Amino acid sequence: MFDPKTRILVVDDMMTMRKLVSKVCKELGFTDITEAADGTIAWEALSNAPSPFGLIISDWNMPNCTGLDLLKRLRSDGRLAKTPFVLVTAEAEQHQVVEAMKAGVDQYIVKPFNQDDLKTKLEAVHKKYAA
Amino acid sequence: MSAADYPCKVHTSEGFLTLQLFGVLHNDNLKGYEDVFSQYTTQQAHIAINLEHAVSVSMGWWRWLLKVQTDLKALQKKMCLILVKPQMRNELKKEGLDTAFTICANIRDAQTEFGLIKNKMLDTDFINPFLDATLHVLKVQSQVDAVAGKIFIKNPATKGSGDISGVIGVVSETFNGCVVISFPEKTFLNIISKMLGESYQELTQDIIDGAGEITNMIFGQAKAVLNDKGYGIQMAIPTVISGKDHTIQSMSKGTVISVPFSSNVGGFFVEICISK
Repeated sequence: MFDPKTRILVVDDMMTMRKLVSKVCKELGFTDITEAADGTIAWEALSNAPSPFGLIISDWNMPNCTGLDLLKRLRSDGRLAKTPFVLVTAEAEQHQVVEAMKAGVDQYIVKPFNQDDLKTKLEAVHKKYAA
Repeated sequence: MSAADYPCKVHTSEGFLTLQLFGVLHNDNLKGYEDVFSQYTTQQAHIAINLEHAVSVSMGWWRWLLKVQTDLKALQKKMCLILVKPQMRNELKKEGLDTAFTICANIRDAQTEFGLIKNKMLDTDFINPFLDATLHVLKVQSQVDAVAGKIFIKNPATKGSGDISGVIGVVSETFNGCVVISFPEKTFLNIISKMLGESYQELTQDIIDGAGEITNMIFGQAKAVLNDKGYGIQMAIPTVISGKDHTIQSMSKGTVISVPFSSNVGGFFVEICISK
């Protein structure tokens, strides 16, 4: 599993969802969590971070810059391209999963989810990067 | 070869089956599909062939689908194609087969073609996924056990059913509408408190968007089920309306189905409006 000190960036336009994801991350032992209200704010946080984020957990469906837009931008940036990225979404359709996979998402979690669901996804992401 | 070698999702609904096909449908895999399909084409049910995820369809396949249509006609049942891509329509037209098939925009039109929708608003095939999703979302995200009550038709002029509502537009090729989940303040605070693990005593900006997020989750779950059946519903972003006796403008132009729910944290309503 990720080190509990891993810097996590939680991106969601809904404050309630940011609180929920942060709460579940804290329950999993993480202590360094930053929240961003959309993809544009997230990009600023990523670009200006004094120390790099070790994990991004982002909503898909957001106005202006969606989670998928953020992911594509991240994967095409030499400095940030290898940041683990988990998309959280209420959309569970096959073509969307395929689109996210093509864009380079590491895991895809469908809302609603509980602590065990997120833990399983994060373990899978960590395993992938540790390999 | 087994059925697993011929990917096809089968959805059984009252009076009809939806067969969803995937990938490239070429003459080489047709025989295998014929064997897999034979169990469905003799079931005395109408059949909708969902081509949303089919990449291409060979002439052999089109001819075989025509034969299935003819066989069903002999059983006094209908077959129609749904979610046919423009390129496939062009191929059919080029071969002079476009009028041989009944092509419907989506499953709702297909149901109408089959003569199965008498009252669009009481179509349980459409409503039930929203009710199932409501129970699932509240259970998983807030550990709330809810029970659906008796469905009724609500006068659109009636005021809202709660103090805070999450509203999401339903947009598809053939119908528009909205889905609303309305909570009395106390029920909403109880649900959000359980969801976030903190006690909330009043509606504040910090939590108000939670109504939209719950609606979004319910919509997302139901949409996946409905689109698998061929409804073709598009992605949407929720909004939140709050205040005592609030009205929801988008519900004023159609009949509204209202479903009261009871739960261990209080009652609430799920309302579905289809305006065309």
